[in-house]
Amino acid sequence: MSVGTVADAAQRTRRQGLADSWRGFRTAARLGWQTEANWTDPVLFGIYSVAKPVGAALILVFMVDIIAAGNADPALRAFVVTGSALWSFVIAGIAGLATSILDDRERYRTLKYLYVSPNSLLLLLLGRGMARVSIGAFGAVITLIIGVLFLGVPFDLARVDWGLTLIAMTLGLLGVLSLGLVLAAITVQLRQDAWNYPEAVAGALFLIVGAVFPLLVLPALVQWLGLAMPLTWWLEGVRQGLFPGSLSSIGGQGAVYTELTGSAAPGSAEIVLMLAVTTAAMLALAAVTFRWSEHSAREKGVFDMITGS
Amino acid sequence: MLSPTDRAPLAIDARGVRRVYKAKPKPVVALDGVDLQVEPGELFGLLGPNGAGKTTLIKILTTLLLPTEGSASVYGFDVARDTRQLRRIMNIVSGGEQSGYGLLFVREQLWMFSQFYGLGRSEGWTRVDELIEAVGLTEQATQKVSSLSTGQRQKLNLARGLLNDPWILFLDEPTLGLDVSAARGVRELVEGWQRAVPGRTILLTSHYMAEVDQLCDRLAIVDHGRILAIGTPDELKKRVQSESIFRLEIDRLDGELSAIGRLPGVLSAVTPAASDLDHDADRQTVVLKLTLEHDAALGGVVAELGRRGSSIVALQKSEPTLEDVFVELVGRGFAESERNGDERPAEPDQVEDDALVERR
Amino acid sequence: MSVYVHRRTHSPQQAARWSPRRVLTTNLRSIYGRAYPRMIGARREPSWVFFEIALPFLTTSAFVFVYRALQAPPEYVGFVVLGGAMTAFWLNILWMMAAQLYWERDQGNLELYFSAPISMMSILFGMALGGLFMSSTRAAVVLLVGALIYNVVFTVDQWLLLLLVFFLTMGALYGLGMVLASFFLLWGREAWHLSQGLQEPVYFVSGLNFPVARLGFLGVLAVSTIPLAVGLDAMRQLVFAGSEHVAPLLPAWAEAGILLIMAALFIGLARWMLRVIERLARVEGKLTMKGT
Repeated sequence: MSVGTVADAAQRTRRQGLADSWRGFRTAARLGWQTEANWTDPVLFGIYSVAKPVGAALILVFMVDIIAAGNADPALRAFVVTGSALWSFVIAGIAGLATSILDDRERYRTLKYLYVSPNSLLLLLLGRGMARVSIGAFGAVITLIIGVLFLGVPFDLARVDWGLTLIAMTLGLLGVLSLGLVLAAITVQLRQDAWNYPEAVAGALFLIVGAVFPLLVLPALVQWLGLAMPLTWWLEGVRQGLFPGSLSSIGGQGAVYTELTGSAAPGSAEIVLMLAVTTAAMLALAAVTFRWSEHSAREKGVFDMITGS
Repeated sequence: MLSPTDRAPLAIDARGVRRVYKAKPKPVVALDGVDLQVEPGELFGLLGPNGAGKTTLIKILTTLLLPTEGSASVYGFDVARDTRQLRRIMNIVSGGEQSGYGLLFVREQLWMFSQFYGLGRSEGWTRVDELIEAVGLTEQATQKVSSLSTGQRQKLNLARGLLNDPWILFLDEPTLGLDVSAARGVRELVEGWQRAVPGRTILLTSHYMAEVDQLCDRLAIVDHGRILAIGTPDELKKRVQSESIFRLEIDRLDGELSAIGRLPGVLSAVTPAASDLDHDADRQTVVLKLTLEHDAALGGVVAELGRRGSSIVALQKSEPTLEDVFVELVGRGFAESERNGDERPAEPDQVEDDALVERR
Repeated sequence: MSVYVHRRTHSPQQAARWSPRRVLTTNLRSIYGRAYPRMIGARREPSWVFFEIALPFLTTSAFVFVYRALQAPPEYVGFVVLGGAMTAFWLNILWMMAAQLYWERDQGNLELYFSAPISMMSILFGMALGGLFMSSTRAAVVLLVGALIYNVVFTVDQWLLLLLVFFLTMGALYGLGMVLASFFLLWGREAWHLSQGLQEPVYFVSGLNFPVARLGFLGVLAVSTIPLAVGLDAMRQLVFAGSEHVAPLLPAWAEAGILLIMAALFIGLARWMLRVIERLARVEGKLTMKGT
């Protein structure tokens, strides 16, 4: 076979590889949707998708109202509702990938077959996780709408900074998925009872990323940790994009950010830059962790391990 | 309570058992009027292709499933009503079983199950160690269950099934997926158990004919949810071929072949056509195909050949297989029967979650 | 006697006749037997220390900081710490017990449990007991470490009543958990997803982070139906005795009475439902599912 023909074949294989990868991702996404969404009728499914984030938002709104004795600052309400609504997206994103691992290994017993298929496990996982991310996004949007309509969240469509919102959401999605991949990589090494660990991680992150209270409330060291997380900048970006001029989760008197920069709150460009940098770091961490976990899993032979207690 | 004049109850007494599953587009009839009586102490086989209804019947008899119609009892205990009593005297082992918890060691897993049958704490450990030795898992006793090979796993499952010393043991395809050696090991354990504790009953389902032929006292051939025939392996084979057919290879044949054909009990004696023989230029032998009324007639033939100075080089009995019986009864073989999957009622694992089925 | 023979009995009828004492001891042994793998698992894979204790503590801390950001009275921090501690038990019951049947069916364990001569209640209780060590540790860490770090001051003047309320709450919760288990048995994935989806709404109406009386009619409804709501309301009164912010719906002794009724009701209901639903599951063939 001549060199030219080999090169052609390699070229065809690469093009086919991309097509195969896309097909694999698409199939995994469809599979994810079928396993996540076909368990009940659409009405009940809609209620389920919305009940959790709305419930979480209500807890915080009531906490605010109780302390403010019914005279809660609308800005504060907007702050907690937005953070809580977006958090459902975070939970869905990081839980979706990790629980897919456990589902496929322990319940459906297909993980080993997926792993030995020509498709990248990473792509398949991302595909599987897309369903949960979509459900989480749906829940977040509905919660925001409910917040605007019934919980006194002030919203002016004309003032929305669509550019910032879109960029923040895109980079934020990458950050969430990276975090999900890190957790998925760790989950491979753990037993079946680890299915609720991603939610525990999300709960812990809840503390440090300014989701429902400004970072300035936290000790300085913890604030630094928060500033290094892409989720912190993502939340800030979406808040400032949807509700320009709203209460900042990053800046303020006593905040590490304000002491460093002298500004009360980061500007749009700064938010996008920091979001991009922290997201890139998280992506790198995800890549390294996934590679390590895959190698370790092959060494220990845990792709078809059945645990459970 | 039984009086002295009462006959001991049958180990299994199923009458008109029907099981219908709700499914789309139409209900699936997994069992269609099964009548089955098994005596205490029998090793009874259910032989049939995948989807025949064997597992469904076992699940009904082990109280996991209710029949849609009909009744069944095990040692006089009704499977629908007397579940508590029945569960005390039976156990079930399935092929390919992955029950239990992978993080536990073999010993620990068995001990856990021993507690579900009321064994005391130390009593349980003792029994576990005895059974581990009996099934040949001593070296794996402190190994995690998730690290066992398939054959070892099935031995563990069998040990679990024997923990409570059941009066009746249900084995649902116990050698499924095992290699030859592991399958033989499991069969030997089953036979060993029955020999050691006479009077215990085993109901074995399988689609491996040789296994059923080897192990079972009696068997039933099942297809499409119905029992097609019941009997001992020999009785069932006689349905296909009542005569005894032998292939006899002798060094020479002097005298008339027809004379052998006229011996008592001999229905025919022929030499097969040359094309039917394996040619070996160095072997100067004569092959006779004998069709006899019964095995005993062979003695007369051997005596006659001996009188003529012939020596027997080889003797082989030609017997029909249970698949031949199945073909005779159904008109097609196991493989073909399994290939026609869309015509067959689905076993429970194919019709599980109605919600899933509906929404696909 | 052959090694295979365990207890010499002359007939299956004799072997099937168990005394009430033997039935009881078997069920008690089954509780421990089912708790066993969970205890072993916790020892062999200690990742739960981080994921089930350290991280949830941080989640509770998040709500503490919400109140701090709002400059709430210090008692509210205590409410969050107490609520965070009790969450551990609720989650143990919901996910380590009720929902566990969903996993067990797929693994093929459920059919073995049902074909064994024991009550499913023993198995469920064993599951919860097995996870109790983890959840108790979590509750203790949240309570003690939370109190230490966030300067929560507990004022208890009726220890006996507090202990009674706590154990009655546990009893009622476990009873409710067993009722939920029967739903998981029948509905499988639907029950799983619904439980996940309703987790936060249940926290909300249970008053995990604030007195349930603040919810008005919803609070009254919660106290009459959800053991966690009643139990928390009573415990708040007893643990922060004399605080004006506790805002109880009913006196603690009355709520203890409600918990007693709930415990009896739920346990009785669970027993009945598990039987009915087992029969239903046997009719529909949902007890078994071949995973491979």
